[in-house]
Amino acid sequence: MNDRTVTATRPKRILIGKVGLDGHDRGAKFIVRALRNAGYEVIYTGIRRTPEQIVRTAVDEDVDAVGLSLLSGAHKELFARVSELIKAEGADNVVLFAGGTIPDKDIPYLKSLGFRHVFTPGVPLSEILSALEQELGAGSTSVTEASP
Amino acid sequence: MDALLDKLRQGDRRSLARAMSLVDGQDAQAEALTDRLRRSTGQVPWWGFTGPPGVGKSTLIDALLTILRQRGRRIGVVAVDPTSPMSDGALLGDRVRMMRHAVDRDVFIRSLATHHREGGLSDATIHCARILEVGGFDPVLIETVGVGQNEVDIASVADLSVVILGPGYGDDIQLIKAGLLEVADLVVVNKCDLPEANRLLKEVHAEFGGMPQAYPAQSSDPETADGGVPSPQPRAKSPVIVGIEAKSGIGVDDLLDRLLECDAAARTPEQRECHRRRRVLGEIRRSAMHRYELALDRALSAPDAADLVNRLETGAVSLESVIAALSEAALRFDFSPPAPRIRS
Repeated sequence: MNDRTVTATRPKRILIGKVGLDGHDRGAKFIVRALRNAGYEVIYTGIRRTPEQIVRTAVDEDVDAVGLSLLSGAHKELFARVSELIKAEGADNVVLFAGGTIPDKDIPYLKSLGFRHVFTPGVPLSEILSALEQELGAGSTSVTEASP
Repeated sequence: MDALLDKLRQGDRRSLARAMSLVDGQDAQAEALTDRLRRSTGQVPWWGFTGPPGVGKSTLIDALLTILRQRGRRIGVVAVDPTSPMSDGALLGDRVRMMRHAVDRDVFIRSLATHHREGGLSDATIHCARILEVGGFDPVLIETVGVGQNEVDIASVADLSVVILGPGYGDDIQLIKAGLLEVADLVVVNKCDLPEANRLLKEVHAEFGGMPQAYPAQSSDPETADGGVPSPQPRAKSPVIVGIEAKSGIGVDDLLDRLLECDAAARTPEQRECHRRRRVLGEIRRSAMHRYELALDRALSAPDAADLVNRLETGAVSLESVIAALSEAALRFDFSPPAPRIRS
C-alpha cells in the first residue's frame, strides 16, 4: 500500500485550497473548472481555510496534488506551514503547486519548501495544465473498453 | 491483506484513505479487500441522504455532524458527486459545506465521483462505507449526487433513507409521481425559513396522510417480495416528516432524535438481516448489470453486429431475434472485473 497502485484506473485527484484571510476565489474557481474539464477529480475547500484543514483534507481524500491559491501576501508563512504539515503526515508524495499574486523574488523560497510550480498572473492556462500533466499524467481519460 | 485490515480497524487515517482509493480505482487488488470488508461489516447504521441538487444535503450533514459530535459519536461520511459526461473529471464540492469538521479526528469525510454510474451513487460507495465502518465510525452517512426522480440506489445500500426536499421544485403533483419519495424512511423539508416551505410541508403530510404511521417498516423478505430481484421497495408505512432549516441548525436536533428512533426500531435482528440481505443483493445486481452492459457493448461493436443492425433497419429480422443474437454473443465474453478506464 505504500506505492500508488490505483493510479491507472481512476482520474487523478487534485485539491485546490485557499489558506488564510483571503476571500478572493475567482482564480481558484477558474482553475477548479479548468482541471475538471481536463479530466481531473477536483476537491475544492472554499475560502479562508487553515493549513491544518487543507492538509487533513488532502490526506483523508488521498489526493495526488495540492494547489494553493493566495492573493493576500501571506504566502511565505502559510505555504511553509502547509508544506511542514504535509511532511509531518508522511504525505510528501503529494505534488504541491501554488498560484496567485506572488512576487518573483519569493518563488525560489516557495520551491525550496517543495512547491514544484508557482503560477503567477498572466501564465496561460495551457502552461498550467501541461505542467500538471507532466507531474501527474493526463487527467482526461478516454474511456476505452478492453477488447474481447 | 491482514495487515491492512488491522490498520483499518485501528482507524489509521492514511490506511483508510488509501484503502478507499484502492476500491475507488477498481484495482485488481481491490476485490480481495472488498470481499473481506463485506464479511466484517453490517452492524453499524448507514444513513443515506438524497434529494435534488442544491436542496441542502451537505449542509444538513454538516449540521448533523456537529450534533452527533456533541453526543460523542465518531462519524464517517461518504459524499458522491457526478463525474462529467464530457471530460471524466469532477468537482467534488460537498465537503466545502463541512469544512469546520475537517480537523476533527472523529469525523472522516470522503468524496467520490460517480464514474458515470447512474442511480445516484458510485460503485465504490458501498466499499468506502464498509471501510469507515471497519475504522470504527458509527454511524456512516452517505450523501448521493443531486438526484431527479428515479435514482434510488441509496435505498438498497443504506439502512435508513432520508429524502430531502425544499420549496421551489414544483407542486404536489411532483410529490405524487413515482420514485424518490417511495423509498423514504424520513422526509425532510429544508429551508423552512422560506415562505413556500410551509405549503410544501403540508403537501408532504397530505401525500402520506392515508398511510399507517407506525415504524417498523415492511418486514417482507427482499428476495421473495419481488421475484428475487432486489429492486428498491416502497415503504409499507408513512415516513417520518420533519421540517428544518439546515443552515441555521433549526430543527436538526429534533431530526436527529427521529433518526435515532427509526434506527432503533430498525435494529431488530429480523430488520438487520433484511437490510443486510437487501444491501448484498443490490451490490450483486449493480455489479453484474455493469458487467453485462460492458459485454453487450462489446457484442455491439463486434464486426458482425453491424450487419445485424442493418438487417433490423431494413426489416429483414425482428428486434427479438437481434436481442437473442446479441445476448448470445455477449455471454461468450469473459466477465472478469472490468477495466473501464484505460489511459490512452
